[in-house]
Amino acid sequence: MRKHVGDLCLQAGMLQDSLVHYHMSVELLRSVNDFLWLGAALEGLCSASVIYHYPAGTGGKTGARRCQGSSLPAEAANRHRPGAQEVLIDPGALTTNGINPDTSAEIGRAKNCLSPEDIIDKYKEAISYYSKYKNAGVIELEACVKAVRVLAIQKRSMEASEFLQNAVYINLRQLSEEEKIQRYSILSELYELIGFHRKSAFFKRVAAMQCVAPSISEPGWRACYKLLLETLPGYSLSLDPKDFNKGTHRGWAAVQMRLLHELVYASRRMGNPALSVRHLSFLLQTMLDFLSDQEKKDVTQSLENYTSKCPGTMELITLPDGLVLPPVPFTKLPIVRRVKLLNLPASLRPQKMKSLLNQNVSTKSPFIYSPIIAHNRGEERNKKIDFQWVQGDVCEVQLMVYNPMPFELRVENMGLLTSGVEFESLPAALSLPAESGLYPVTLVGVPQTTGTITVNGYHTTVFGVFSDCLLDNLPGIKTSGSTVEVIPALPRLQISTSLPRSAHSLQPSSGDEISTNVSVQLYNGETQQLVIKLENIGMEPLEKLEVTSKILTTKEKLYGDFLSWKLEETVAQFPLQPGKVATFIVNIKVKLDFSCQENLLQDLSDDGISVSGFPLCSPFRQVVRPRAESKPVNPPEGSKPGDPSHVKTLEAILNFKYSGGPGHVEGYYRNLSLGLHVEVEPSVFFTRVSTLPATSTRQCHLLLDVFNSTEHELTVSARSNEELVLHAGECQRMAIQVDKFNFESFPASPGEKGQFASSEQLEEERQEARGLEINSKLDVRWRIPSLKRTGEASVEGLLNQLVLEHLQLAPLQWDVLVDGQPCDCEAAACRVGDPVRLEVRLTNRSPRSVGPFALTVVPFQDHQNGVHNYDLHNAVSFVGSSTFYLDAVQPLGQSACLGALLFLYTGDFFLHIRFHEDSRSKELPPSWFCLPSVHVRALEAQA
Amino acid sequence: MAVCVAVIAKENYPLYIRSVPTENELKFHYMVHTSLDVVDEKISAMGKALVDQRELYLGLLYPTEDYKVYGYVTNSRVKFVMVVDSSNTALRDNEIRSMFRKLHSSYTDVMCNPFYNPGDRIQSRAFDSMVTSMMIQVC
Repeated sequence: MRKHVGDLCLQAGMLQDSLVHYHMSVELLRSVNDFLWLGAALEGLCSASVIYHYPAGTGGKTGARRCQGSSLPAEAANRHRPGAQEVLIDPGALTTNGINPDTSAEIGRAKNCLSPEDIIDKYKEAISYYSKYKNAGVIELEACVKAVRVLAIQKRSMEASEFLQNAVYINLRQLSEEEKIQRYSILSELYELIGFHRKSAFFKRVAAMQCVAPSISEPGWRACYKLLLETLPGYSLSLDPKDFNKGTHRGWAAVQMRLLHELVYASRRMGNPALSVRHLSFLLQTMLDFLSDQEKKDVTQSLENYTSKCPGTMELITLPDGLVLPPVPFTKLPIVRRVKLLNLPASLRPQKMKSLLNQNVSTKSPFIYSPIIAHNRGEERNKKIDFQWVQGDVCEVQLMVYNPMPFELRVENMGLLTSGVEFESLPAALSLPAESGLYPVTLVGVPQTTGTITVNGYHTTVFGVFSDCLLDNLPGIKTSGSTVEVIPALPRLQISTSLPRSAHSLQPSSGDEISTNVSVQLYNGETQQLVIKLENIGMEPLEKLEVTSKILTTKEKLYGDFLSWKLEETVAQFPLQPGKVATFIVNIKVKLDFSCQENLLQDLSDDGISVSGFPLCSPFRQVVRPRAESKPVNPPEGSKPGDPSHVKTLEAILNFKYSGGPGHVEGYYRNLSLGLHVEVEPSVFFTRVSTLPATSTRQCHLLLDVFNSTEHELTVSARSNEELVLHAGECQRMAIQVDKFNFESFPASPGEKGQFASSEQLEEERQEARGLEINSKLDVRWRIPSLKRTGEASVEGLLNQLVLEHLQLAPLQWDVLVDGQPCDCEAAACRVGDPVRLEVRLTNRSPRSVGPFALTVVPFQDHQNGVHNYDLHNAVSFVGSSTFYLDAVQPLGQSACLGALLFLYTGDFFLHIRFHEDSRSKELPPSWFCLPSVHVRALEAQA
Repeated sequence: MAVCVAVIAKENYPLYIRSVPTENELKFHYMVHTSLDVVDEKISAMGKALVDQRELYLGLLYPTEDYKVYGYVTNSRVKFVMVVDSSNTALRDNEIRSMFRKLHSSYTDVMCNPFYNPGDRIQSRAFDSMVTSMMIQVC
């Protein structure tokens, strides 16, 4: 037959002849209705035309084949299914053997050759003929495949896909499994050829599944896995998790998930658990959003199973065919939202010495300001945090994490990844409740060397998979810089005190952060020792310690030193080696105002006539000052203090600056603050203060109304050791005999010489100094026997100008001598009828001359009932004048005048020495002219 | 009548895919996914034509034994793919066309929602119910 001749011609390379023969055979065969042969002839015609049109071949790799292989069907069949070819093609070929070639019809070359469109048409026709025979399926498939190749060259993908679509449905019954796989692979390959990547991936996957179909006795998992991997690009799936970090996931999640599951399964069956762990973790990481709760559970369950055999690592897995599987870090298990490097606690924060700091700044740039440098710094600051970590100290990084899983997530071995400094990360294990909200996790570590440390990320172990998560790769993470400077090691100090810790924290206005707070309750005036134990709990010796205190501003006026200490004793124990303890003692002394209320101080003008319990019986009470005219009515004594139970608080901060070790060399120190909270309960109040002149001009009586505001019995004692017992809430008057003070000699007076701008300030200072002096002389102490607590009371706050003036020793010192003996307090005795010599002596201590003065002696009798009898002309007579004249007295000079008295009757007489009004210089204060009264007891003349 | 309706974004990832619950969902996923090849091919072929006069309806993408896959592409290259049962011969090309048009207008409504973030999965209830109505019509 012609067809066979055409075949032979084609094989012989005689294209023209073969075309002619094919045409003739087609004509012949059409008439005989032999469709199988007709199809074959058409196919042959097509093949010849293709060779003519595309001498280079239909495909890159098959090009050579087309040129040398004239029998295209056989050739293609050979390649695809060598076994089947003989059976199906050769019978047809053999039957044609007997037909003689008819070479009579010579058809023109151009006419014989099919146009490209015709080729396809003929192919179609051929295929339709083939399809009429069931056992011609293989040939049909081949024809399809060939047609597709031709179409691929013609870039007619749509039509090619139709052919392929048809090819898929060609029913091939007696195919072995291997052939099936090959068939699918070829289909996939062809789809790839026409640019249908998805289709290609689909068939590749089918092929892969065929590899491991249950009917196969020896499943080819390896081949399956390989084929599956090849499908990945078709499903636009990359095994690099980095590709998934950009925004939301986009792709065919369900399909991709399926593929990943298959990959996992295949790799497991391949006997490569590491691979399956990698794929599974990839599945979990990338597809987390698409997994249902149940699936999440299942996936993690199986992941845990695999990792129990082979833990997941961060190494690259390289497949034999060169594909590299990058590691899959679980950045979503848990999801980290924020990373924040924490400063050291306030007490451990290193601080730089000022001077060194300045040096550093100055060495950075020779310019004071340069915009370029400022710009650079700004950039640096983006990453760098402006605090330091200390070598050898535990440093913290806080992560805000949450668990997206519907079950409890156990994260183990969570630690920090750092660079720049040797860093010992202390891993933490945490368990996050199901679908937790943001959950703070603190990762800690110890820097071992100094330098600049950068926190790059963290590592975790979840479900047995190790992951290193780098912060740079995490989406949607907030970080406030990750670079910190690590400075050399410093010692650490721990403070423990003898006082109980208090929950009460100081007002934050101070700006310092207090590490420890202690509180104590004291009575006003009490002193307590605070023993502070300083323990060096660091690794470096403590070399330097400075203590400062800061009293938080209170409205209360504080007298005396609130806190006092001696640092020398403590420093003597230095350097403090690690683990050693040093003690440091601070005295707390609370001395607040002992005066009760402001308005009560006005009552100072009260002369104190209603004296109760006056211990020192002064025989005469004299009104020293005129009563204040508009004096308010005294409230009843018992209920006098307005709010006796009012507790005042004092707060102070003790700052310990310490340093040592290499950090000290670098100029760093640490600051530890101890907050001190003192509750001051009132102990005693001086509700009123007044003075009474004593019998001697050099002394006077200070009257204090003492009020016991405690709930306990309280004794008050002054310098003179008199103890006054006060019951709770009782108020008593107490008199203390004090020497008058010569304030002029105080060191406060130098202020007078200086040019103080503010005279008020000067006056205040002087008054304070006086108060201090008086207080030290008085030494008023109180004691609560039941509580065994003692303290002192200070009168500083309540002494006012008037009282002070009275307590002041006048610069003019008047002495009255009776019979040559100074007469101060005791009565001088004399006999009736004898003249008594009276001498008035003036010593001038003031810096200027005074006088001259005229003095008149007025005798009187005190009837002890407030009545003074001045009408004593009959009882006392003067020898000489009753008026004395004193000359002007120069500074530091002395002057005296003499007179005599004659007492005519026995009795107690008093002599009042009076100044003549005119002689007194107005500019001198009245208290300077305070002459003692003279008490003379005239006795019966002895026989 | 439709057994599966899918909306696919310009970048060829699904915005919405829904199939009749009785069938294997994954199968339809594969089917729609592979049909994208044809869609791409058709679009590239059409690319030469004038954009305005372009026919949005792509027609039958490819038939399988049990189903026919139809495609539709908007001017912004958002693709709608519908899988119908091939046994349902009553379904005319025109009906498919009108269904796609309905789908398109519903999708436009979704995009008009100011709270919808273009590129996200479609979670609109109105859209969902519309798709449901399309699927139930005959089934």
